Amino acid sequence: MDFEFSVIIESLPALFEGAKLTWYITILGIIGGMIFGILAGLGRIAGTAALGEKPHGIFIWVSVLIRYISGGYVELIRGTPIIVQAMFLYFAFPMLVKAVTDIERFRIEALTAAVITIVVNAGAYIAEIVRGSVISVNKGLLEAGMSLGISRFQLIVHVIGPIAIRRMIPPLGNQFIISLKDTSLFIVIGVGELTRQGQEIMASNFRALEIWLTVAIIYLMMTTTLSMTLRHFEKKMKMF
Amino acid sequence: MPNIIELKNVCKSFGNTEVLHNIDFAVEEGEVVVVIGPSGSGKSTLIRCINCLEMITTGELIVDSIRIPDEQGRIRQIRLEVGMVFQQFNLFPHMTAIENVAFGPSKARRMNKAKATDIARGLLDRVGLAEFEHQLPGQLSGGQQQRVAIARALAVSPKVLMFDEPTSALDPEMIGEVLDVMKSIANDSGMTMIVVTHEMGFAAQVGDRLIFMDDGRIVEEGKPGDVMKNPQSERLKDFLGHVKHH
Repeated sequence: MDFEFSVIIESLPALFEGAKLTWYITILGIIGGMIFGILAGLGRIAGTAALGEKPHGIFIWVSVLIRYISGGYVELIRGTPIIVQAMFLYFAFPMLVKAVTDIERFRIEALTAAVITIVVNAGAYIAEIVRGSVISVNKGLLEAGMSLGISRFQLIVHVIGPIAIRRMIPPLGNQFIISLKDTSLFIVIGVGELTRQGQEIMASNFRALEIWLTVAIIYLMMTTTLSMTLRHFEKKMKMF
Repeated sequence: MPNIIELKNVCKSFGNTEVLHNIDFAVEEGEVVVVIGPSGSGKSTLIRCINCLEMITTGELIVDSIRIPDEQGRIRQIRLEVGMVFQQFNLFPHMTAIENVAFGPSKARRMNKAKATDIARGLLDRVGLAEFEHQLPGQLSGGQQQRVAIARALAVSPKVLMFDEPTSALDPEMIGEVLDVMKSIANDSGMTMIVVTHEMGFAAQVGDRLIFMDDGRIVEEGKPGDVMKNPQSERLKDFLGHVKHH
C-alpha cells in the first residue's frame, strides 16, 4: 500500500483553516442554539405546573400561544433534514424575500446561513432537552418552594434551574457533538469548513486515504474536546 | 382567640371527582389541630387547599384575613404566613442544610444573606442539627432531613405551620425525634399548627382538637382524649381499631 505521510503534512495548513471555520460555526451555533433552546423549551411548558404556579386570566391564553409557537418551531425543525434547511435558507429564502418585497439584491452569506442553520436546528433539539430536564424536577420541590412564599421567577432561577441544568449536561453533550458534525453538511452551500477543505485537497491530489483519515482525526479531536469540556462541568457541579 | 384560618362551605374537585364536600372548618390562633382519617379521605387535600397548593373549587377560604377566591393575587402572602412540612421532606437537594433553611428568609422575606444565615443557624440548632449545617440532604437520615424541613418552614416565621403526614415516610426509630421537635414547637412557641398524622399518641399529647375525616367530610371533632375514648361513628371506631393495632 502506498501511504504518503508527507501528503498529510502538506494538507495540514488548509485543513486547519477548515477546522477553524468548523469551530467558529459550531461555537456560535451552540451559543445561539442554547438561547433558542432554552426559550423554546421553557415556552413549550409555559403555564404548566412544571414551572410552578398555573397562570390565570389572560395569561392562560398567552401561555397557550407561547406553547403553540414553541411547539410548532420544534416540530418544523425536527421534522425536516438539516441539509434541506441549509439549502432553503441559502438558495430559496433570498428568492422568497425578492418575491414578497422590493429588495432586489437580497442574499445571505454562506457562512451566515451556516451559523443560522445550526442555531435554529440545535435550538429545536436543545428545546426538548430543556423541556425534559425541567419536567423531570420533582414537583414536591416546587411545592416546597411555593409554600415558603417564593416567587415563580426565583423558583425557576434557584431551584428548577440548578437541578435541571445538571440533568441537561449529558444530552447536551450529545447535541453539541451532533451540531459540530452537522457543519460538514455545509459543503453543499460552499462553506470552506473542514470537510470541504478535505474534499478540495482530495480533488487535486486524489490521496483519499491520507486526506479523509486526517479529516476524521481532526473531527475526533474536536468532538473529544467538546465532551471533555462537558465532563469537566459535570464534575465541577456539586453532586447530590 | 380570633380565627386565623376559616373555610366556609368549601368544595374541591379534581376533574369530575369531588374530594372535599362542603367543608366548614376554622382554626384559632395558637391552636394545635390534628387531622386523622383513612387514606383518600381528603386530609392532605384539605391542608393543601389552605396554602393554595390546590385551589378550592367553590366556597370561601380566609387565611389571616386574606380572602380566596376574591384576593387570588395575594396567594404568596398566604404562603408566607402558612408554612408546610411534607411527607417526603422535599429539601432542595443541591443546597446544604443551612442553605435550605436560609433560602426562605433571604428570597421570600428579602433579608440579607448574613441575617438569613444567622436565623438558619439558630433554627438548625433548635432542631438539634447544628453540627450538620454543611451537609447536603442526601447525606442526612430521613429524620434529620425532616427536622431540616421543619427548620426551613419556620425560617420565614409563618403564623401557621402545617404538617402533611410528617412521619409517614420515616423508619420507626426516627419518628420520635421528629415528633419531639414538633412537640417543642407547639409547647414553646404557641405556634398555630395543623397536623395530618396517624400518630395517635402525638394527637393525644399535643392536640387541642382532633378532627376525623372520611370521604371528604369532617365526620367528628373534639378534644383528642374525648374523641378517641368515645368515638360516635362506626367509621371512627373502625379507624381507631386499625390505628391502635399497628
